[in-house]
Amino acid sequence: MATKDKEWISIPMTVDVPYKFAAGEYMTKCLTELRDSGRIFAVECPKCKRVQLPPRIVCAECHVKNEKWVELPHEGTLMNFTIMYLPLTDPTTGKPHEPPFVYGSVRLDGATSVLDHMVEVEPDMDKVWVGMRCRLVLRPKEERIGDLSDIRYIEPLPGQKKPQTKSR
Amino acid sequence: MKRNVAIIGGGQTCHAARRHDVDQAEMVNEAVRAALKDARMTMDEIDLVILGNMEFFEGVHLTDCWLVHGTGAYGKQGVKITTGGTVGATAVCAGAHHVASGLFDKVLCIGFEKQEEGDTGAILSGVANPLWGRSMAGAAVGYFAMMGSSYIANWGATEEHSAMVAVKARQNARKNKYAHLKLDITIEDALNSRMLAWPIRMLDMCPASNGACAMILADEKTAKSRCKKPVWIRAMDTAHNEQFELDWRDVKTKRLIFSRACAGRLYRKLGVDDPAKYFDVFEIYEPATWAELIWYEDLGLCGPGEGFRLIEQGKTNIDGPIPVNPSGGVLSTNCIGASAMLRVWEAALQIRGDAGEHQVPRDVRRALTTAYGGTNWTVMTALSKTLDD
Amino acid sequence: MENKTEYKPFEVDQHLTAHGNYWAGKAGSRFYTALRDRKKLLGSPCKACNKVFWPPRSICTFCFSELKDVVEIGPLGTVETFTLVTYAEPIHPRPAPFIYAVIRLDGADTGMAHFLDEVEFGEVTIGMRVQPVFAKDRKGNILDIQYFKPL
Repeated sequence: MATKDKEWISIPMTVDVPYKFAAGEYMTKCLTELRDSGRIFAVECPKCKRVQLPPRIVCAECHVKNEKWVELPHEGTLMNFTIMYLPLTDPTTGKPHEPPFVYGSVRLDGATSVLDHMVEVEPDMDKVWVGMRCRLVLRPKEERIGDLSDIRYIEPLPGQKKPQTKSR
Repeated sequence: MKRNVAIIGGGQTCHAARRHDVDQAEMVNEAVRAALKDARMTMDEIDLVILGNMEFFEGVHLTDCWLVHGTGAYGKQGVKITTGGTVGATAVCAGAHHVASGLFDKVLCIGFEKQEEGDTGAILSGVANPLWGRSMAGAAVGYFAMMGSSYIANWGATEEHSAMVAVKARQNARKNKYAHLKLDITIEDALNSRMLAWPIRMLDMCPASNGACAMILADEKTAKSRCKKPVWIRAMDTAHNEQFELDWRDVKTKRLIFSRACAGRLYRKLGVDDPAKYFDVFEIYEPATWAELIWYEDLGLCGPGEGFRLIEQGKTNIDGPIPVNPSGGVLSTNCIGASAMLRVWEAALQIRGDAGEHQVPRDVRRALTTAYGGTNWTVMTALSKTLDD
Repeated sequence: MENKTEYKPFEVDQHLTAHGNYWAGKAGSRFYTALRDRKKLLGSPCKACNKVFWPPRSICTFCFSELKDVVEIGPLGTVETFTLVTYAEPIHPRPAPFIYAVIRLDGADTGMAHFLDEVEFGEVTIGMRVQPVFAKDRKGNILDIQYFKPL
């Protein structure tokens, strides 16, 4: 058969879908406060006492209503991290974060949940470690919109050194 | 189970990076025809068709409607299952439930992925919470990298252990004619592959594959009269994680996360004390090497922090005492919609003794399979050779 | 609730952009190369059902047989149903208003959705005979037919 019969046809198509999400009662408070006052609000379950961020109406484990609001400090402990060598695109803006950069998970003091974000530190295994004390750095008020990206990044608290371990 | 359910046939496509020669219906049809042939059945005999596929991963909405000619579902009863990475196994569970209920006797379950056609990256970002996290969505690589990072920090494993898992998977895949990445790699190759997100390298992650898998489930009467080697589904379980809680990447977390919750319940259902001894082969859904090491522990194959010792000692090799992923696993073939079903099908092949070159060299009477999907949930199935096993 | 502050309900605007690329497969590739290169329209015949399908397919929807043959259909066809689209939607390939019709090409048992042009909406009738107008610059997709018009 002629080679034309073996030509495989493809058809490109781009779909762009707009969304409008209602934040609901609890996230409205959380995002409004983050935007306007830069304060971080979590909720505590009356039964298991988990301090949950982002705040949610129901504790998933206990199936009871979370009623107690807990304001969290901006300081916490780095629970986990990775050094990204891939450009990560913010899907809401389409702009990439240039690699390499550190991406990690911080547990703010008093919280049970952790929060993922960029870590503003040299991508060097001696400069970042699990257990490092750090704090959130927020964008200036006029730039905040009520989103996790109102937090610019997590940065290490000054004056720390990576603890020595046997293997080193 | 109300009625016993058996796998009486199945089939899969040759999974590949590119399948430009088929549209989605033609690709699905390859697996469906293979399954019907294996079961020695015709489409007319099928009572129910269950299609597993993640919504819009292929850039098509409602694939169960669009693919009716390929799946054979025209005029038939059926449902579409959409559960992320677990979808192939959820489709099997759904099929098994329909047969066990007594309402259907012969059910066709299908899972597929035409990864090259859709924009899974964009659609997967939709998994992230739009109100908290979507703008910072870390991508699968980032999450598994954090798992690896936590594992290394807490248990002292090294990148070499990850490389051992990568090598085991691809060397096993070389024995599986359907696998996508049949790579003759060494530890050194794995350690030299491009770093994606520390500690995950290119060879530590699964590929993006195009492929389909189909299985036919039947009731006991049909299975015993029509099938020489029925494989029995003895138990199934699923468990979700709480979407917002990211502690599943923290190996020291005390919470009963999805993998442990599910394994615990499944073992209780079957009366399993020591899963490493109870099951003869494991097909687990491991999108990354570190996940496999951690899930050895969550499945109770070893104690906490000992997963890397298992791979170090070769215990999970194809000829080892606890063979894990003789098919090459998800690390070698990841057609997302089919991957979880492939775990069940590959486990069934092992029990049947039909896995060819990648058959584990022992009497396989019981198998355990797992599936994984964002937002962190799992589906597990336990299969056996006879109803007395 | 401890905090009695009133908050204005918060809403988040976002969008998702997905880039797809569909492979037409065996039956589809044959159809689109014939359309693009030779301005010919092909259907998929099923001998067992005595039916000819458009869109082309490799499996018969009704009897599940494998379909490997092709047969030429059209180029003329008959309007089975039609409507006038008067509202705008981003996904539409043409600005409103435009006429959508289902056209049964001669020799096919199932219809093709396409545009009608060079005709006023008030003149279109079910049963009207139409012919395709091919695009000058054809790429191997359904818009290689620009629209159908009355004979």
